[in-house]
Amino acid sequence: MDLLERIDEWGRTTPERPAHVSAGRTLTYGALLRRSDAFAAHLALALPDDGSPVAVIGHKEPEMLIAFLGAVKAGHPYVPIDTSLPPHRVASIVATAGARLTLTPEYVSQLADVEADAPGRRLRMSDHYYIIFTSGSTGEPKGVVITLGCLTSFVNWMLDEQSFKEREEVFLNQAPFSFDLSVMDLYLSLATGGTLFSITREDIANPKQLYQAFAASGVTAWVSTPSFAQMCLAERRFAAEMLPQLRRFLFCGETLPPEVAAELLRRFPEAMVWNTYGPTEATVAATSICVNHALLGRYPSLPVGRPKPDARVLVMDEAGQPARPGERGEIVIAGPNVSPGYLGRPDLTARAFFDLDSQWAYRTGDWGYYRDGLLFFEGRMDSQIKLHGYRIEIGDIEANLMALPGVRDAVVIPVGKDGIYDSLTACVVLAERLAGSDFEVSCTLRAKLGKRLPSYMVPRRFCFQEAFPMTANGKVDRHKLAEALA
Amino acid sequence: MSQADLSLEDKTIDILARIAETDEVRRNLDLELFDLDILDSLATVQLMVALSDEFGVDISPAEFEREEWATPRKIVAYMEQRVRG
Repeated sequence: MDLLERIDEWGRTTPERPAHVSAGRTLTYGALLRRSDAFAAHLALALPDDGSPVAVIGHKEPEMLIAFLGAVKAGHPYVPIDTSLPPHRVASIVATAGARLTLTPEYVSQLADVEADAPGRRLRMSDHYYIIFTSGSTGEPKGVVITLGCLTSFVNWMLDEQSFKEREEVFLNQAPFSFDLSVMDLYLSLATGGTLFSITREDIANPKQLYQAFAASGVTAWVSTPSFAQMCLAERRFAAEMLPQLRRFLFCGETLPPEVAAELLRRFPEAMVWNTYGPTEATVAATSICVNHALLGRYPSLPVGRPKPDARVLVMDEAGQPARPGERGEIVIAGPNVSPGYLGRPDLTARAFFDLDSQWAYRTGDWGYYRDGLLFFEGRMDSQIKLHGYRIEIGDIEANLMALPGVRDAVVIPVGKDGIYDSLTACVVLAERLAGSDFEVSCTLRAKLGKRLPSYMVPRRFCFQEAFPMTANGKVDRHKLAEALA
Repeated sequence: MSQADLSLEDKTIDILARIAETDEVRRNLDLELFDLDILDSLATVQLMVALSDEFGVDISPAEFEREEWATPRKIVAYMEQRVRG
């Protein structure tokens, strides 16, 4: 049985079991099967059979799951887009993807009572399954293509390693579906007949509502960024009494601070804490490790673990040779989980992907080293950063800032400590003095930038300058700017 | 306003200005912190933790009411009530 057949099988054997719970709405496995088949039949009539992507826009509604599965059953990969993205960014993603159709929850709801006369088609492992767009350094997002083979490789590894209990797990879904961390909770849940419990943007904005949701969730497997768990820990009642069935934390998307892992182990003594690592281009994660007290005692910075069995995760030196243990180099991932490349961008694909001993490989641009057989992540080789788990190209923000009227030059400085960033500051040279105080001008620029970029990419602080300090080579001296801000 | 009041207000606004990364919260006590995206969820929780540490009171995120934290003035009033309360 492939992944889709496995998910469909829950619809036949346990049709009443909840597949997804979000904002008080429940979608059962029976309804997911029936409605995704019907939706696939609808798409087969509405679209040419050319494998072109469809965009799915929403915020964690059950209809998004129906649209995802319906699209792939009709032979079209889906592009998940969260409604928090501004229209300018959505338009850019839809155009780059070449999506012929943009599906909303309302669109999917209209077909709620339709029955399919035949099940959806079977996919080949090389068929495109989803395309996730990430920040691109030139100001335009780029689409990472993930095939059924990539997704199957990731899901099978996690199922073997984690030994989830079929039809019993409840997975926390924190990340929007546009962020590939959500692939971990969504597909591990659907593959095991589990229930995906989504928390919404509104829950996160209202901590009272958020903790009430946790207490009522029955979550057994927590999947989130470390910074989200760190935020939850600010409430001292966030402990085993609030989530008594919780047995596992699975982290991905950014560095896991040891103090967060230690505090979770203290408050949830019956739960395991797993750290994982991987870029979107290698399907969510490619290494993992269970963090226990012994590991915390041994390493001041936590390792990201060992490679999944069917992949190679290498650290390469400047000559392209495997680095010696302890020696720093670029992390390269090779295996069936590696994306075929960026949608419609052979130039970008050729730069980052290559054939390594007959295996498709991806240069992550991440620094790393091996010690004691464990991989350690040491930050980025370029100006890409992770902010609260979101992958951001600094150049993307700068290009969009400089596209605003009145902005002559812009440099964005990530602010944080020990390589963990918690905010962004924009240094801006204006073409001419705009009316209003610095604060009012910064509010105006933030609002304008917020129409082009997702909110997590909009700098919190703006500082206005007459000119930027320059290096001897005539480039903006970012170090001097960062020092001046500190 | 007594010296003690000034002290609580000053300390609260200092902490808010540091976390919000703007001195505008000193100039405009009616600044709409959430509507203007000056505080997001994470910054709000950081603020609660910092105020708890400063004043030795237990501020529970699970009891957070957005309306009570909407402006610098409201945050000061909330802290006065909690500290003297």
